[in-house]
Amino acid sequence: GMAEAEAAGDAGLAPAAAQEGAELAAVIGATVPTGFEQTAAEEVREKLGSASRISKDRGKIYFEVPARSLPQVHRLRSVDNLFVVVQEFKDYQFKENKEDALKDLEDLVKKLPWTDPLKVWELNNSLKKKKTKRKKHNLQSSASRGKLSDGGEEGGADQNNTNDQEDCAPNPEAVEPTGGQDTENPQGVTSRNGVEEEEDNEQSDVKVEVQASSESGTKAGDGQTGEGEAKVLRFRVTCNRAGDKHSFTSNEAARDFGGAVQEHFQWKADMTNFDVEVLLNIHNNEVVVGIALTEESLHRRNITHFGPTTLRSTLAYGMLRLCDPQPTDIIVDPMCGTGAIPIEGAAEWPYCYHIAGDNNPQAVKRAANNISSLLRKNESKDSSTALGVPLDVVQWDICNLPLRTGSVDIVVTDMPFGKRIGSKKKNWDLYPACLMEMGRICTPGTGRAVLLTQDKKCFAKALSRVGHIWRRAQTVWVNVGGLHAAVYLLRRTSERAEETRSFW
Amino acid sequence: KLGHPSELPPEPTPGYEADEEFLRRLHHVLLEVEVLEGSLQCPDSGRRFPISRGVPNLLLTEDEA
Repeated sequence: GMAEAEAAGDAGLAPAAAQEGAELAAVIGATVPTGFEQTAAEEVREKLGSASRISKDRGKIYFEVPARSLPQVHRLRSVDNLFVVVQEFKDYQFKENKEDALKDLEDLVKKLPWTDPLKVWELNNSLKKKKTKRKKHNLQSSASRGKLSDGGEEGGADQNNTNDQEDCAPNPEAVEPTGGQDTENPQGVTSRNGVEEEEDNEQSDVKVEVQASSESGTKAGDGQTGEGEAKVLRFRVTCNRAGDKHSFTSNEAARDFGGAVQEHFQWKADMTNFDVEVLLNIHNNEVVVGIALTEESLHRRNITHFGPTTLRSTLAYGMLRLCDPQPTDIIVDPMCGTGAIPIEGAAEWPYCYHIAGDNNPQAVKRAANNISSLLRKNESKDSSTALGVPLDVVQWDICNLPLRTGSVDIVVTDMPFGKRIGSKKKNWDLYPACLMEMGRICTPGTGRAVLLTQDKKCFAKALSRVGHIWRRAQTVWVNVGGLHAAVYLLRRTSERAEETRSFW
Repeated sequence: KLGHPSELPPEPTPGYEADEEFLRRLHHVLLEVEVLEGSLQCPDSGRRFPISRGVPNLLLTEDEA
Protein backbone atom coordinates (compact mmCIF):
# COMPACT_ATOMS: atom_id res chain seq x y z
CA GLY A 1 0.00 0.00 0.00
CA MET A 2 0.93 3.59 -0.24
CA ALA A 3 1.69 4.01 3.40
CA GLU A 4 4.17 1.19 3.20
CA ALA A 5 6.11 2.85 0.47
CA GLU A 6 5.92 6.11 2.32
CA ALA A 7 6.96 4.59 5.58
CA ALA A 8 9.85 2.81 3.96
CA GLY A 9 10.81 5.82 1.94
CA ASP A 10 10.47 8.20 4.84
CA ALA A 11 13.91 9.13 5.99
CA GLY A 12 13.25 7.64 9.37
CA LEU A 13 16.20 7.96 11.66
CA ALA A 14 17.86 4.75 12.64
CA PRO A 15 21.44 4.12 13.65
CA ALA A 16 23.48 2.74 10.80
CA ALA A 17 23.83 -1.00 11.00
CA ALA A 18 27.08 -1.89 12.64
CA GLN A 19 29.64 -2.99 10.14
CA GLU A 20 32.47 -5.38 10.78
CA GLY A 21 34.71 -3.89 13.40
CA ALA A 22 32.55 -0.76 13.76
CA GLU A 23 31.47 0.04 17.25
CA LEU A 24 27.89 -0.50 18.29
CA ALA A 25 26.14 2.84 18.59
CA ALA A 26 22.76 3.60 20.05
CA VAL A 27 20.26 6.34 19.56
CA ILE A 28 18.87 6.85 23.02
CA GLY A 29 15.54 8.40 23.85
CA ALA A 30 15.17 9.87 27.31
CA THR A 31 12.08 11.09 29.09
CA VAL A 32 12.71 14.12 31.23
CA PRO A 33 10.46 16.43 33.27
CA THR A 34 8.52 18.60 30.85
CA GLY A 35 10.09 21.99 30.59
CA PHE A 36 13.57 20.75 31.40
CA GLU A 37 14.47 19.34 28.02
CA GLN A 38 17.12 21.98 27.49
CA THR A 39 18.64 21.33 30.91
CA ALA A 40 18.77 17.63 30.19
CA ALA A 41 20.37 18.27 26.81
CA GLU A 42 23.07 20.32 28.54
CA GLU A 43 23.77 17.52 30.97
CA VAL A 44 24.05 15.05 28.09
CA ARG A 45 26.47 17.37 26.30
CA GLU A 46 28.50 17.85 29.44
CA LYS A 47 28.71 14.22 30.53
CA LEU A 48 28.52 12.29 27.29
CA GLY A 49 29.72 14.79 24.76
CA SER A 50 26.70 14.22 22.56
CA ALA A 51 24.33 16.73 21.12
CA SER A 52 20.64 16.16 21.73
CA ARG A 53 17.54 16.67 19.72
CA ILE A 54 14.56 17.89 21.60
CA SER A 55 11.39 16.28 20.38
CA LYS A 56 8.13 18.09 19.78
CA ASP A 57 6.66 15.39 21.96
CA ARG A 58 7.34 17.24 25.16
CA GLY A 59 9.53 15.71 27.79
CA LYS A 60 11.70 13.70 25.42
CA ILE A 61 15.19 14.20 24.09
CA TYR A 62 17.25 12.05 21.77
CA PHE A 63 21.00 11.62 21.49
CA GLU A 64 23.47 9.16 20.05
CA VAL A 65 26.21 7.48 22.04
CA PRO A 66 28.45 4.45 21.68
CA ALA A 67 26.78 1.51 23.39
CA ARG A 68 29.67 1.18 25.82
CA SER A 69 28.63 4.52 27.33
CA LEU A 70 25.44 3.01 28.69
CA PRO A 71 26.61 3.08 32.32
CA GLN A 72 27.18 6.83 32.06
CA VAL A 73 23.81 7.25 30.39
CA HIS A 74 22.17 5.62 33.38
CA ARG A 75 23.92 8.04 35.69
CA LEU A 76 22.33 11.09 34.07
CA ARG A 77 20.47 12.95 36.75
CA SER A 78 17.93 14.80 34.67
CA VAL A 79 16.45 11.68 33.07
CA ASP A 80 13.41 9.74 34.25
CA ASN A 81 13.37 6.88 31.78
CA LEU A 82 15.54 5.63 28.93
CA PHE A 83 14.89 3.68 25.76
CA VAL A 84 16.87 2.71 22.69
CA VAL A 85 15.38 3.91 19.42
CA VAL A 86 14.60 1.26 16.84
CA GLN A 87 13.37 3.76 14.31
CA GLU A 88 12.00 7.25 14.19
CA PHE A 89 9.57 8.63 11.65
CA LYS A 90 9.38 12.37 11.55
CA ASP A 91 6.39 12.52 9.27
CA TYR A 92 4.47 9.29 9.22
CA GLN A 93 1.36 9.35 7.10
CA PHE A 94 -1.45 7.53 8.78
CA LYS A 95 -4.28 6.17 6.67
CA GLU A 96 -7.60 7.70 7.50
CA ASN A 97 -9.33 4.38 7.73
CA LYS A 98 -8.72 2.65 11.03
CA GLU A 99 -8.21 -0.84 9.66
CA ASP A 100 -5.75 0.39 7.06
CA ALA A 101 -3.83 2.50 9.53
CA LEU A 102 -3.51 -0.42 11.92
CA LYS A 103 -2.52 -2.79 9.14
CA ASP A 104 0.27 -0.42 8.18
CA LEU A 105 1.57 -0.51 11.72
CA GLU A 106 1.49 -4.29 11.71
CA ASP A 107 3.36 -4.41 8.42
CA LEU A 108 5.95 -2.04 9.76
CA VAL A 109 7.27 -4.53 12.29
CA LYS A 110 9.14 -6.80 9.92
CA LYS A 111 10.76 -3.84 8.18
CA LEU A 112 12.26 -2.26 11.27
CA PRO A 113 15.99 -2.51 12.01
CA TRP A 114 15.72 -4.47 15.25
CA THR A 115 19.17 -6.06 15.30
CA ASP A 116 21.33 -3.34 16.76
CA PRO A 117 18.77 -1.97 19.21
CA LEU A 118 18.28 -5.48 20.53
CA LYS A 119 22.02 -5.79 21.01
CA VAL A 120 21.91 -2.60 23.01
CA TRP A 121 19.02 -4.01 25.02
CA GLU A 122 21.05 -7.13 25.78
CA LEU A 123 24.04 -5.09 26.82
CA ASN A 124 21.78 -3.05 29.04
CA ASN A 125 20.46 -6.21 30.64
CA SER A 126 23.91 -7.35 31.62
CA LEU A 127 24.42 -3.98 33.27
CA LYS A 128 21.17 -4.32 35.15
CA LYS A 129 22.08 -7.74 36.43
CA LYS A 130 24.95 -6.30 38.36
CA LYS A 131 22.51 -4.04 40.12
CA THR A 132 19.68 -6.48 40.77
CA LYS A 133 21.20 -7.82 43.95
CA ARG A 134 20.03 -4.72 45.75
CA LYS A 135 16.72 -4.04 44.16
CA LYS A 136 14.25 -6.83 44.22
CA HIS A 137 11.14 -4.75 44.11
CA ASN A 138 9.00 -4.95 41.07
CA LEU A 139 7.88 -1.43 40.45
CA GLN A 140 4.40 -2.55 39.59
CA SER A 141 3.70 -4.29 42.88
CA SER A 142 1.81 -2.04 45.16
CA ALA A 143 3.43 -1.67 48.52
CA SER A 144 1.21 -0.66 51.34
CA ARG A 145 0.29 2.97 51.22
CA GLY A 146 -1.00 5.12 53.94
CA LYS A 147 -1.76 8.78 53.85
CA LEU A 148 0.38 10.93 55.99
CA SER A 149 -1.65 12.75 58.54
CA ASP A 150 -0.20 16.15 58.31
CA GLY A 151 0.19 17.56 61.76
CA GLY A 152 1.26 20.96 62.86
CA GLU A 153 0.28 24.12 61.18
CA GLU A 154 -0.09 22.76 57.75
CA GLY A 155 -3.65 21.53 58.26
CA GLY A 156 -4.12 18.64 55.90
CA ALA A 157 -7.83 19.02 55.33
CA ASP A 158 -7.80 19.49 51.61
CA GLN A 159 -4.81 17.44 50.74
CA ASN A 160 -4.92 16.21 47.26
CA ASN A 161 -2.35 13.47 47.32
CA THR A 162 -2.05 13.28 43.61
CA ASN A 163 1.52 12.78 42.86
CA ASP A 164 3.60 12.63 39.76
CA GLN A 165 4.97 9.36 40.95
CA GLU A 166 3.74 6.04 40.29
CA ASP A 167 4.56 3.14 42.55
CA CYS A 168 8.13 3.76 43.40
CA ALA A 169 9.35 1.15 45.76
CA PRO A 170 11.76 2.41 48.35
CA ASN A 171 15.21 0.97 48.55
CA PRO A 172 14.73 -2.25 50.48
CA GLU A 173 17.77 -1.53 52.59
CA ALA A 174 16.20 1.53 54.06
CA VAL A 175 13.88 1.79 56.96
CA GLU A 176 10.18 1.47 56.15
CA PRO A 177 8.88 4.73 54.85
CA THR A 178 7.29 6.67 57.61
CA GLY A 179 4.88 8.43 55.34
CA GLY A 180 2.64 7.05 52.70
CA GLN A 181 2.35 8.16 49.22
CA ASP A 182 -0.76 8.18 47.20
CA THR A 183 -0.13 7.08 43.69
CA GLU A 184 -3.43 8.12 42.27
CA ASN A 185 -3.11 9.52 38.83
CA PRO A 186 -5.65 12.26 38.23
CA GLN A 187 -6.46 11.05 34.77
CA GLY A 188 -7.23 7.59 36.01
CA VAL A 189 -4.67 6.07 33.72
CA THR A 190 -1.67 4.15 34.91
CA SER A 191 1.46 5.72 33.67
CA ARG A 192 4.95 4.44 33.88
CA ASN A 193 6.87 7.53 34.61
CA GLY A 194 6.19 11.07 35.59
CA VAL A 195 2.84 11.94 34.17
CA GLU A 196 2.96 14.10 31.12
CA GLU A 197 -0.33 15.64 30.35
CA GLU A 198 -0.67 14.92 26.70
CA GLU A 199 -3.84 15.24 24.78
CA ASP A 200 -5.53 11.90 24.91
CA ASN A 201 -2.63 9.96 26.29
CA GLU A 202 -3.58 6.36 26.74
CA GLN A 203 -1.56 3.40 27.58
CA SER A 204 -2.19 -0.05 26.40
CA ASP A 205 -3.02 -2.76 28.82
CA VAL A 206 -4.24 -5.17 26.25
CA LYS A 207 -2.86 -8.65 26.30
CA VAL A 208 -2.29 -10.29 23.02
CA GLU A 209 -4.20 -13.25 24.33
CA VAL A 210 -5.43 -14.94 21.21
CA GLN A 211 -2.09 -15.39 19.55
CA ALA A 212 -0.28 -16.13 22.79
CA SER A 213 -2.35 -19.17 23.50
CA SER A 214 -1.65 -20.67 20.13
CA GLU A 215 2.07 -20.44 20.75
CA SER A 216 1.98 -22.27 24.06
CA GLY A 217 5.34 -20.82 24.85
CA THR A 218 7.43 -23.80 23.97
CA LYS A 219 9.49 -22.17 21.31
CA ALA A 220 13.09 -21.72 22.20
CA GLY A 221 14.01 -20.09 18.98
CA ASP A 222 15.09 -16.76 20.27
CA GLY A 223 18.79 -16.40 19.84
CA GLN A 224 18.47 -12.87 21.13
CA THR A 225 18.58 -13.61 24.80
CA GLY A 226 21.94 -12.94 26.35
CA GLU A 227 20.98 -14.62 29.55
CA GLY A 228 22.53 -17.97 28.80
CA GLU A 229 19.17 -19.68 28.96
CA ALA A 230 17.35 -20.90 25.91
CA LYS A 231 14.03 -19.51 26.97
CA VAL A 232 11.43 -17.64 25.04
CA LEU A 233 11.51 -13.91 25.60
CA ARG A 234 8.46 -12.26 27.03
CA PHE A 235 7.40 -8.88 25.81
CA ARG A 236 4.78 -6.24 25.99
CA VAL A 237 4.01 -3.24 23.84
CA THR A 238 3.33 0.11 25.42
CA CYS A 239 1.74 2.67 23.18
CA ASN A 240 1.51 6.37 23.93
CA ARG A 241 -0.57 8.24 21.46
CA ALA A 242 -1.24 11.94 21.26
CA GLY A 243 -3.00 13.86 18.51
CA ASP A 244 -6.52 14.33 17.30
CA LYS A 245 -6.25 13.03 13.77
CA HIS A 246 -5.65 9.37 14.39
CA SER A 247 -8.37 6.90 13.57
CA PHE A 248 -7.34 4.42 16.24
CA THR A 249 -6.66 4.32 19.94
CA SER A 250 -3.38 3.50 21.62
CA ASN A 251 -4.87 0.25 22.86
CA GLU A 252 -5.67 -0.83 19.33
CA ALA A 253 -2.27 0.17 18.05
CA ALA A 254 -0.51 -1.67 20.86
CA ARG A 255 -2.63 -4.73 20.29
CA ASP A 256 -2.03 -4.97 16.57
CA PHE A 257 1.57 -3.91 16.68
CA GLY A 258 2.10 -6.43 19.46
CA GLY A 259 0.53 -9.14 17.39
CA ALA A 260 2.95 -8.47 14.58
CA VAL A 261 5.89 -8.39 17.01
CA GLN A 262 4.90 -11.75 18.36
CA GLU A 263 4.55 -13.15 14.87
CA HIS A 264 7.93 -11.80 13.85
CA PHE A 265 9.99 -12.84 16.85
CA GLN A 266 7.94 -15.71 18.22
CA TRP A 267 8.12 -14.10 21.65
CA LYS A 268 5.50 -14.57 24.32
CA ALA A 269 3.26 -11.70 25.30
CA ASP A 270 3.18 -10.91 28.99
CA MET A 271 1.94 -7.63 30.38
CA THR A 272 3.47 -7.83 33.79
CA ASN A 273 6.44 -10.14 33.64
CA PHE A 274 8.22 -9.11 30.49
CA ASP A 275 11.82 -9.06 29.36
CA VAL A 276 11.39 -6.69 26.46
CA GLU A 277 9.17 -3.65 26.55
CA VAL A 278 8.55 -2.36 23.07
CA LEU A 279 7.55 1.29 22.98
CA LEU A 280 5.34 2.72 20.31
CA ASN A 281 5.22 6.47 20.73
CA ILE A 282 2.92 8.37 18.44
CA HIS A 283 2.77 12.12 18.65
CA ASN A 284 0.74 13.50 15.75
CA ASN A 285 2.84 12.46 12.76
CA GLU A 286 5.94 11.65 14.72
CA VAL A 287 6.31 7.94 15.38
CA VAL A 288 9.08 6.45 17.44
CA VAL A 289 9.57 2.74 18.00
CA GLY A 290 11.87 1.93 20.89
CA ILE A 291 12.86 -0.65 23.46
CA ALA A 292 12.80 0.37 27.10
CA LEU A 293 16.10 0.36 28.98
CA THR A 294 14.76 1.32 32.38
CA GLU A 295 12.02 -0.42 34.25
CA GLU A 296 11.56 2.03 37.01
CA SER A 297 11.89 5.74 37.04
CA LEU A 298 15.30 6.91 38.07
CA HIS A 299 13.83 9.85 39.86
CA ARG A 300 13.26 8.22 43.23
CA ARG A 301 16.91 7.44 43.63
CA ASN A 302 17.76 9.57 46.62
CA ILE A 303 14.66 9.43 48.69
CA THR A 304 13.93 6.46 50.86
CA HIS A 305 11.54 8.14 53.23
CA PHE A 306 8.61 9.61 51.41
CA GLY A 307 6.33 12.38 52.32
CA PRO A 308 3.06 13.29 50.70
CA THR A 309 4.63 15.71 48.31
CA THR A 310 8.14 14.47 47.70
CA LEU A 311 9.61 16.05 44.64
CA ARG A 312 11.17 13.74 42.10
CA SER A 313 14.95 13.92 41.94
CA THR A 314 15.03 14.66 38.24
CA LEU A 315 12.93 17.77 38.79
CA ALA A 316 15.09 18.75 41.77
CA TYR A 317 18.16 18.35 39.59
CA GLY A 318 16.68 20.47 36.82
CA MET A 319 15.83 23.23 39.28
CA LEU A 320 19.32 23.22 40.75
CA ARG A 321 20.97 23.30 37.35
CA LEU A 322 18.90 26.29 36.44
CA CYS A 323 20.61 28.39 39.09
CA ASP A 324 24.08 27.36 37.93
CA PRO A 325 25.70 26.56 41.28
CA GLN A 326 29.36 27.52 41.56
CA PRO A 327 31.88 25.89 43.89
CA THR A 328 31.65 27.37 47.42
CA ASP A 329 28.10 28.61 46.87
CA ILE A 330 25.82 28.31 49.89
CA ILE A 331 22.55 26.76 48.79
CA VAL A 332 19.53 26.83 51.07
CA ASP A 333 16.17 25.12 50.81
CA PRO A 334 14.10 26.83 53.51
CA MET A 335 11.01 24.59 53.02
CA CYS A 336 12.78 21.35 52.32
CA GLY A 337 10.12 18.78 53.15
CA THR A 338 11.80 15.39 52.88
CA GLY A 339 14.90 17.04 51.51
CA ALA A 340 14.72 15.99 47.86
CA ILE A 341 16.34 19.16 46.56
CA PRO A 342 19.24 19.54 49.03
CA ILE A 343 20.03 15.84 48.80
CA GLU A 344 20.23 15.99 45.05
CA GLY A 345 22.26 19.16 45.43
CA ALA A 346 24.80 17.66 47.81
CA ALA A 347 25.22 14.62 45.60
CA GLU A 348 25.79 16.48 42.37
CA TRP A 349 27.35 19.72 43.59
CA PRO A 350 29.60 18.56 46.39
CA TYR A 351 31.69 21.73 46.29
CA CYS A 352 28.75 23.77 47.47
CA TYR A 353 27.35 23.78 50.96
CA HIS A 354 23.71 22.80 51.27
CA ILE A 355 21.37 23.66 54.10
CA ALA A 356 17.92 22.14 54.40
CA GLY A 357 15.31 23.52 56.74
CA ASP A 358 11.65 23.11 57.49
CA ASN A 359 9.32 24.01 60.34
CA ASN A 360 7.53 20.68 60.29
CA PRO A 361 9.13 18.16 62.69
CA GLN A 362 8.09 15.17 60.59
CA ALA A 363 9.59 16.66 57.48
CA VAL A 364 12.81 17.43 59.28
CA LYS A 365 12.99 13.92 60.66
CA ARG A 366 12.45 12.42 57.25
CA ALA A 367 14.99 14.66 55.65
CA ALA A 368 17.51 13.66 58.30
CA ASN A 369 16.70 10.00 57.68
CA ASN A 370 17.15 10.39 53.97
CA ILE A 371 20.54 11.93 54.55
CA SER A 372 21.48 9.08 56.89
CA SER A 373 20.55 6.62 54.18
CA LEU A 374 22.80 8.50 51.82
CA LEU A 375 25.63 8.41 54.33
CA ARG A 376 25.15 4.69 54.82
CA LYS A 377 25.47 4.18 51.08
CA ASN A 378 28.74 6.07 51.19
CA GLU A 379 30.20 4.00 53.97
CA SER A 380 33.23 2.02 53.04
CA LYS A 381 33.71 -1.47 54.35
CA ASP A 382 36.83 -0.57 56.24
CA SER A 383 35.79 2.29 58.40
CA SER A 384 32.66 2.91 60.37
CA THR A 385 32.64 6.56 59.52
CA ALA A 386 31.12 7.60 56.25
CA LEU A 387 32.46 10.11 53.84
CA GLY A 388 30.72 13.30 54.79
CA VAL A 389 28.10 15.03 52.80
CA PRO A 390 28.07 18.85 52.64
CA LEU A 391 24.54 19.08 53.89
CA ASP A 392 22.82 19.89 57.15
CA VAL A 393 19.24 19.96 58.33
CA VAL A 394 17.72 22.54 60.64
CA GLN A 395 14.27 23.06 62.03
CA TRP A 396 13.28 26.67 61.46
CA ASP A 397 10.59 29.13 60.52
CA ILE A 398 10.68 30.38 56.92
CA CYS A 399 9.62 33.82 58.10
CA ASN A 400 12.36 34.06 60.73
CA LEU A 401 15.40 32.39 59.28
CA PRO A 402 18.41 32.17 61.59
CA LEU A 403 20.72 33.18 58.77
CA ARG A 404 22.65 36.38 58.32
CA THR A 405 21.52 38.94 55.81
CA GLY A 406 23.10 38.49 52.41
CA SER A 407 24.93 35.31 53.34
CA VAL A 408 23.26 32.85 50.98
CA ASP A 409 24.03 32.49 47.28
CA ILE A 410 21.13 30.35 46.18
CA VAL A 411 17.66 29.72 47.54
CA VAL A 412 15.90 26.80 45.92
CA THR A 413 12.63 25.36 47.07
CA ASP A 414 9.33 23.74 46.30
CA MET A 415 6.81 26.27 47.61
CA PRO A 416 3.72 24.90 49.31
CA PHE A 417 0.97 24.16 46.82
CA GLY A 418 -2.39 25.22 48.09
CA LYS A 419 -3.93 21.95 46.97
CA ARG A 420 -1.51 19.55 48.58
CA ILE A 421 -0.29 21.17 51.74
CA GLY A 422 -1.82 24.14 53.47
CA SER A 423 -4.43 26.15 51.71
CA LYS A 424 -4.70 28.81 49.09
CA LYS A 425 -5.57 31.48 51.60
CA LYS A 426 -2.47 30.71 53.62
CA ASN A 427 -0.34 31.06 50.54
CA TRP A 428 -1.69 34.57 50.03
CA ASP A 429 -0.03 35.63 53.27
CA LEU A 430 2.87 33.22 53.20
CA TYR A 431 4.26 33.93 49.76
CA PRO A 432 5.12 37.61 50.22
CA ALA A 433 6.64 36.92 53.64
CA CYS A 434 8.73 34.09 52.16
CA LEU A 435 9.97 36.19 49.29
CA MET A 436 10.96 38.97 51.66
CA GLU A 437 12.87 36.69 53.99
CA MET A 438 14.49 34.81 51.11
CA GLY A 439 15.46 38.18 49.69
CA ARG A 440 17.03 39.18 52.97
CA ILE A 441 19.30 36.15 53.31
CA CYS A 442 20.29 36.15 49.65
CA THR A 443 23.42 37.94 48.46
CA PRO A 444 22.54 41.14 46.63
CA GLY A 445 23.61 41.26 42.99
CA THR A 446 24.84 37.69 42.58
CA GLY A 447 22.22 35.74 44.48
CA ARG A 448 19.45 33.80 42.81
CA ALA A 449 16.40 31.78 43.68
CA VAL A 450 14.66 28.93 41.90
CA LEU A 451 11.14 28.42 43.16
CA LEU A 452 8.58 25.82 42.18
CA THR A 453 4.94 26.60 42.73
CA GLN A 454 1.53 25.63 41.48
CA ASP A 455 -0.08 28.76 42.84
CA LYS A 456 1.09 30.95 39.98
CA LYS A 457 -1.39 33.74 40.55
CA CYS A 458 -0.47 34.12 44.17
CA PHE A 459 3.19 33.98 43.30
CA ALA A 460 2.93 36.62 40.60
CA LYS A 461 1.15 38.93 42.99
CA ALA A 462 3.69 38.36 45.76
CA LEU A 463 6.52 38.92 43.31
CA SER A 464 5.11 42.24 42.19
CA ARG A 465 5.38 43.46 45.76
CA VAL A 466 9.06 42.60 46.07
CA GLY A 467 10.27 43.95 42.75
CA HIS A 468 12.95 45.93 44.54
CA ILE A 469 14.75 42.77 45.64
CA TRP A 470 13.77 40.10 43.11
CA ARG A 471 13.69 40.17 39.32
CA ARG A 472 12.12 37.34 37.34
CA ALA A 473 14.73 35.94 34.94
CA GLN A 474 13.12 32.79 33.56
CA THR A 475 9.98 30.70 33.86
CA VAL A 476 9.75 26.97 33.14
CA TRP A 477 6.31 25.39 32.87
CA VAL A 478 6.25 21.97 34.44
CA ASN A 479 3.87 19.23 35.40
CA VAL A 480 3.93 17.97 38.96
CA GLY A 481 1.52 15.24 39.94
CA GLY A 482 -0.84 16.20 37.16
CA LEU A 483 -0.88 19.80 38.27
CA HIS A 484 0.41 22.56 36.07
CA ALA A 485 3.14 24.27 37.96
CA ALA A 486 5.89 26.73 37.23
CA VAL A 487 9.52 27.03 38.15
CA TYR A 488 10.68 30.61 38.47
CA LEU A 489 14.31 31.61 38.27
CA LEU A 490 14.73 34.91 40.12
CA ARG A 491 17.78 37.11 40.40
CA ARG A 492 18.52 39.10 43.50
CA THR A 493 18.84 42.82 42.73
CA SER A 494 21.77 44.82 44.10
CA GLU A 495 19.59 46.55 46.58
CA ARG A 496 20.49 45.71 50.16
CA ALA A 497 17.75 44.34 52.37
CA GLU A 498 16.46 46.29 55.33
CA GLU A 499 17.41 44.95 58.67
CA THR A 500 13.95 44.19 59.97
CA ARG A 501 15.08 41.37 62.19
CA SER A 502 14.14 41.87 65.75
CA PHE A 503 15.30 38.54 67.12
CA TRP A 504 18.14 37.13 65.08
CA LYS B 1 33.06 23.57 73.47
CA LEU B 2 33.77 20.20 72.02
CA GLY B 3 36.30 19.03 74.51
CA HIS B 4 39.17 20.64 72.67
CA PRO B 5 39.23 24.07 74.24
CA SER B 6 42.93 24.51 73.84
CA GLU B 7 43.05 23.69 70.16
CA LEU B 8 41.11 26.58 68.77
CA PRO B 9 41.66 30.23 69.59
CA PRO B 10 38.57 32.23 70.58
CA GLU B 11 38.91 34.33 67.42
CA PRO B 12 40.78 33.93 64.17
CA THR B 13 44.21 35.43 64.41
CA PRO B 14 45.39 37.67 61.58
CA GLY B 15 46.76 35.72 58.64
CA TYR B 16 44.67 32.68 59.52
CA GLU B 17 44.14 31.87 55.85
CA ALA B 18 47.73 30.74 55.59
CA ASP B 19 47.86 28.86 58.88
CA GLU B 20 47.31 25.31 57.71
CA GLU B 21 47.24 23.78 61.17
CA PHE B 22 44.53 26.17 62.23
CA LEU B 23 42.56 25.63 59.04
CA ARG B 24 42.71 21.91 59.51
CA ARG B 25 41.33 22.13 63.03
CA LEU B 26 38.68 24.57 61.92
CA HIS B 27 37.66 22.30 59.06
CA HIS B 28 37.43 19.42 61.47
CA VAL B 29 35.18 21.26 63.85
CA LEU B 30 32.98 22.75 61.15
CA LEU B 31 32.66 19.89 58.74
CA GLU B 32 33.81 16.70 60.35
CA VAL B 33 32.20 16.84 63.74
CA GLU B 34 28.51 16.53 64.06
CA VAL B 35 26.68 17.45 67.20
CA LEU B 36 24.00 14.89 67.78
CA GLU B 37 22.65 16.03 71.11
CA GLY B 38 23.35 19.37 72.67
CA SER B 39 22.44 22.93 72.15
CA LEU B 40 23.33 26.14 70.42
CA GLN B 41 23.55 29.21 72.55
CA CYS B 42 22.82 32.71 71.36
CA PRO B 43 25.86 34.84 72.27
CA ASP B 44 23.70 37.90 72.93
CA SER B 45 20.64 36.61 74.75
CA GLY B 46 22.00 33.38 76.14
CA ARG B 47 18.90 31.61 74.89
CA ARG B 48 19.62 27.95 74.18
CA PHE B 49 18.31 26.13 71.14
CA PRO B 50 18.22 22.37 71.46
CA ILE B 51 19.89 19.96 69.08
CA SER B 52 18.26 16.59 68.88
CA ARG B 53 19.50 13.70 66.68
CA GLY B 54 21.73 16.08 64.83
CA VAL B 55 19.02 18.59 64.02
CA PRO B 56 18.96 21.98 65.76
CA ASN B 57 15.54 23.42 66.48
CA LEU B 58 15.71 27.13 65.79
CA LEU B 59 11.99 27.82 65.89
CA LEU B 60 11.12 30.91 67.88
CA THR B 61 8.40 31.02 70.48
CA GLU B 62 5.42 33.29 69.93
CA ASP B 63 6.93 35.95 72.13
CA GLU B 64 10.27 35.91 70.44
CA ALA B 65 8.96 36.16 66.88
